[in-house]
Amino acid sequence: MPDKVKTKMIRVHIMGKEHLVPEGLTIMKAMEYAGYRFIRGAGCRAGFCGACGTVYRLKGDYKLYFELACQSAAIDGMSLTQLPFVPANKATYTVRLIKETGNPILKFYPEVARCVSCNTCTKACPQQLEVMDYIQAALKNDIEKAAKLSFDCIQCGLCAIRCPAEIAQYHVGQLARRVYGKFVKKSNQLNKRLNETNKGKFNSELDELMKMDKAAIKQKYTERDLESLAKKK
Amino acid sequence: MKIPYYPGCTLKAQGLGFETSAIASAKAVDIEMMELQRWNCCGTVFSLASDDLMHYIAPIRNFIRVQEAGYDKVVTLCSMCYNTMKRANLLVKNDSEKLKTLNDFMYREEDYKGNVEIVHLLELLRDEIGFETISKKVIRKFNELKVAPYYGCMLTRPKEVGIDDWEEPQIMENLITALGAEVVDDPMRGECCGAYHTVNSKDLVAERTRMIVTSAKNRGADIIVLSCPLCEFNLGTRQKDTIEIYSDFSGIPVLYFTQLMALALGMGKEVCRFDLHYVDPRPLLIEKGIIEEGEEKNAR
Amino acid sequence: MEIINGYPDYMRESINEVVKTRQARLKKTFTPMTMDERKQVLDKFHPDYKAEGKRSLAIGPNKGKVTLSEVADLLEAHPIISPKDINLSQIDYDVDVLIIGGGGAGTVAALWASNNGTPVDKILIVTKLRHGDSNSMMAQGGIQAADRPQDSPVKHYLDTYGGGHFSNKPELVRRLVTEAPSIIRWHVTRGVLYDRDENGDFMELSGGGTSRDRLHAAKDYTGMEILRCLRDVSRNRKIPVLEFTSVVELLTDGDRVTGAVLYNMENEQYSIIRARATILATGGFGRLHVQNFATTNHYGATADGLVLAYHVGATLRDMDTAQYHPTGAAYPEQLVGLLITEKVRGMGAQPLNIDGKTFVFPLEPRDVEAAAFIRECYGRKKGMVTSTGMSGIWLDSPMIEILRGEGAIEKNLGAMHRMFQRFGIDMRKDPVLVFPTLHYQNGGVEIDVEALTSVEGLFAGGEVEGGVHGKNRLMGNSLLDYNVFGRAAGISASEYAKKTKPGKLSLKHLEKYEKSLKDAGIKTKRRAPILLPEYRGKEALSRSIDIDKVVYA
Ligand SMILES: Cc1cc2nc3c(=O)[nH]c(=O)nc-3n(C[C@H](O)[C@H](O)[C@H](O)COP(=O)(O)OP(=O)(O)OC[C@H]3O[C@@H](n4cnc5c(N)ncnc54)[C@H](O)[C@@H]3O)c2cc1C
Ligand code: SF4
Ligand code: SF4
Ligand code: FES
Repeated sequence: MPDKVKTKMIRVHIMGKEHLVPEGLTIMKAMEYAGYRFIRGAGCRAGFCGACGTVYRLKGDYKLYFELACQSAAIDGMSLTQLPFVPANKATYTVRLIKETGNPILKFYPEVARCVSCNTCTKACPQQLEVMDYIQAALKNDIEKAAKLSFDCIQCGLCAIRCPAEIAQYHVGQLARRVYGKFVKKSNQLNKRLNETNKGKFNSELDELMKMDKAAIKQKYTERDLESLAKKK
Repeated sequence: MKIPYYPGCTLKAQGLGFETSAIASAKAVDIEMMELQRWNCCGTVFSLASDDLMHYIAPIRNFIRVQEAGYDKVVTLCSMCYNTMKRANLLVKNDSEKLKTLNDFMYREEDYKGNVEIVHLLELLRDEIGFETISKKVIRKFNELKVAPYYGCMLTRPKEVGIDDWEEPQIMENLITALGAEVVDDPMRGECCGAYHTVNSKDLVAERTRMIVTSAKNRGADIIVLSCPLCEFNLGTRQKDTIEIYSDFSGIPVLYFTQLMALALGMGKEVCRFDLHYVDPRPLLIEKGIIEEGEEKNAR
Repeated sequence: MEIINGYPDYMRESINEVVKTRQARLKKTFTPMTMDERKQVLDKFHPDYKAEGKRSLAIGPNKGKVTLSEVADLLEAHPIISPKDINLSQIDYDVDVLIIGGGGAGTVAALWASNNGTPVDKILIVTKLRHGDSNSMMAQGGIQAADRPQDSPVKHYLDTYGGGHFSNKPELVRRLVTEAPSIIRWHVTRGVLYDRDENGDFMELSGGGTSRDRLHAAKDYTGMEILRCLRDVSRNRKIPVLEFTSVVELLTDGDRVTGAVLYNMENEQYSIIRARATILATGGFGRLHVQNFATTNHYGATADGLVLAYHVGATLRDMDTAQYHPTGAAYPEQLVGLLITEKVRGMGAQPLNIDGKTFVFPLEPRDVEAAAFIRECYGRKKGMVTSTGMSGIWLDSPMIEILRGEGAIEKNLGAMHRMFQRFGIDMRKDPVLVFPTLHYQNGGVEIDVEALTSVEGLFAGGEVEGGVHGKNRLMGNSLLDYNVFGRAAGISASEYAKKTKPGKLSLKHLEKYEKSLKDAGIKTKRRAPILLPEYRGKEALSRSIDIDKVVYA
């Protein structure tokens, strides 16, 4: 076992105010260590909800960096603020009624046509998605590509706040994915199983299981054959 | 020959038949058009003021994509994309400072070196393949089909950008002749179709449509051919609005030059997507004996 | 200390051992435990089986029942409001169906209340953070539904019931498994993009304790993909949502739940809502850090629902167990406790000790797997110990790329890959270090098969309710749970609301509650619900588990 190392303290500037925090914390925990209590700006604390979008600069570097406070380490000398909310209008639609012809996405988000391909959104995305490419795919009506490229979007809104064309990319991605869902092949297995359950095919077997005493059902449980094991053999 | 191909957005939404007929007929004359793996909207020409660099990013980024793919030439179909990209390219080729600013801004990409050329498919056909060669491959007879070429603004203007003489272009005329159809000489061929006014001022566009289509028709044209999805929308689809406003107006089919070429080279039903045109050309083509009734059913 | 690709050199030594044994392990797997072996490892090493971690409740309907101490602390606590401070005469919101919690269960309940005919403006979702900030958003691995020909709801039933140590409510399990395929159908018609093969059938995997490949996944963003889609449906339908607002107390007319007291988290104002029917969909309790374990749960998972329900006299069940997910991240420090989805094992990664040796079947039910990890680390001292004193087990993720082809991780485990990549670790090339983490509230507010609690007017769906999973939930059954019982709760509440009139509003039950605290001799400053955990100052640092106590109790 290694020796416990003494933690170094680092300086972070939270909205301009300097705080000393131990090295090795996430930005989120560093803020908490510094005394902030989140109401906004923290949701899942694990990189899935996009509540904690954070913008920062480093000492001596003109670049703006974009990260999730819960998923990146605090860095010595960083100057940061959170952007926990992005005003953006979501279009209202009924996916069932959307037709694939023409460009359905442009119909609901005509501003997509204003994209100048500056790629600023991509640079801002803490998920490292090719945001410009999915917007461009939406523009050229490649819904499958827009859906797939935007799939890992956690809807943090950092792209939208940076876009010179004022597009709310993550809403566009959401629509693309839902529309794409209409085009994927249906599952025959699922349909078959639904028919069976509708006809009550498994009822008698389930009745039986529910009637079994504990010992009998335990026995049955231990005797199950495991598919994952069968495959190994 | 193999050449990277830049489609542009409109082709992927409205101009589907333009793309499929172009790729197929290019292939028939030994041009393999390979769509770029990644590309973005060209940005469209209307935003190109030379001091508004923001709007040059889009076209220049596309040249970077060609460069990345290891080519120095890219072909396109849409007149609008062609014009935008060519103009942007000229600007940065002549102004290294602007090119540097753009490259600095796009720091995540490799620098654009300014060595890529953009050409229109018509140019490739004329300069690399030759209309004579094409005419030898013609299979289908056009039976005196009278065709009026339409250039609009983007193929010939401004002069440095144009694919042919900007006052007396002949490139489409020559292609039509090589394909075995009859050219209708029409003074309106270089008039503007109204372009993006179509979004907000249907009336304005209807007026242009009436003027341009009627002129071609009065000179005996059976169809108009062109090379831009927006022109096709304005001159074709907008005929519907034109009739509503001008009750004496009656239209004719509007096709892409590549559809005419595909027909001539013996293709048709698989690649032309005639069903996407507001004025369905199929009855006329059948009447002229160019396609057959049964064939027409399959010609989607 | 030199760091090579994210790992310090002292960890690299152990990783080398892992690499050495890899080829031989590819074809072999550890044999699953017998029921006896399971019992042994659980008894000795599972945190739940440690007597000090629980106590018998002193008050309320579950008086005398053994309950996790952290939960008992909240139930044996004063309410945060007192009846005299709240003006009930002014009603701020008047609805048919009130839904507490805007996670999965809440969103599903709202949609089905609406489908069942309750007008949208008579539905209200009240939620602590933003709509969607919830455990449901975080689920990675998948959702179970028996739709393959070699599988059946019967098999699903048996797996679930056995996995829950035969302590589940059978009629709830039955509803869970029989409605599963229809839930998947509902999702795909709304546009949820599950992973599929070229025929359109789903690509399904096994989870711990399942006898068939039955997990439907959307890469490793399953929970997010389902919920953001359903939330989009709900937003299109304009179902009203009050965000950053918590319910801090239910209101009753003496017998039935008739509304709630709301607390605006931002401006700290209270408001009153009257509702004909109320649905609890407040999720779980991970942020209580039971036995000081780190947790996978979202920020608002503080067991509020249990407290609210208990205050109005609802019965709870199976509150003596908590689910520890075997594979929480144990390194790097910034990720400690966060979930490494079970799918990583489902796709072939084996758990290994410091010597790179296997010691357990990779897909035992969660409690068994977690106990086996703890045994390896603390009973046998064969864990990899990090510089912060955390002991962990290797999860040999590079096996996935070998077994399923290059690119399999990026394609199916993008979230995991990204999470480690952020800290310089490439899980395609190196194993990742894991240790059990507090994951799921197995029990909860008891419901019947129509999602009604023991109190009239109060329904419950999702992680807050108990009975579906008994004493241990199987992976992929809780996303299913929130859909099946969220839907049941939505429909039942909507039906109930159609048949009833709005009731009187009172907080009398709080007086009764205070009295029972007093009668039981409980003197405490504790107040509940707590709404959010306290992490300021030193609390931000990661907690060290007093594991020796856990183990040798
Ligand atoms: C990291 C992780 C991974 C998981 N992976 C899987 C998986 O692969 N498969 C699977 O089946 N299950 C998985 N689970 C479990 C599953 O996600 C949850 O059990 C399930 O989603 C719970 O849904 P719910 O709607 O009941 O609760 P939640 O989704 O947690 O929603 C509860 C909501 O209520 C709100 N709330 C709480 N208290 C109050 C209050 N007082 N007033 C107002 N609002 C309140 C919360 O903020 C939250 O929005 C996972 C869980 C986690 C944490
Ligand atoms: S930031 Fe906006 S304009 Fe720029 S590439 Fe992205 S979507 Fe297009
Ligand atoms: S695409 Fe935009 S909203 Fe989505 S994760 Fe990236 S920056 Fe956030
Ligand atoms: S808090 Fe959810 S992504 Fe950071």
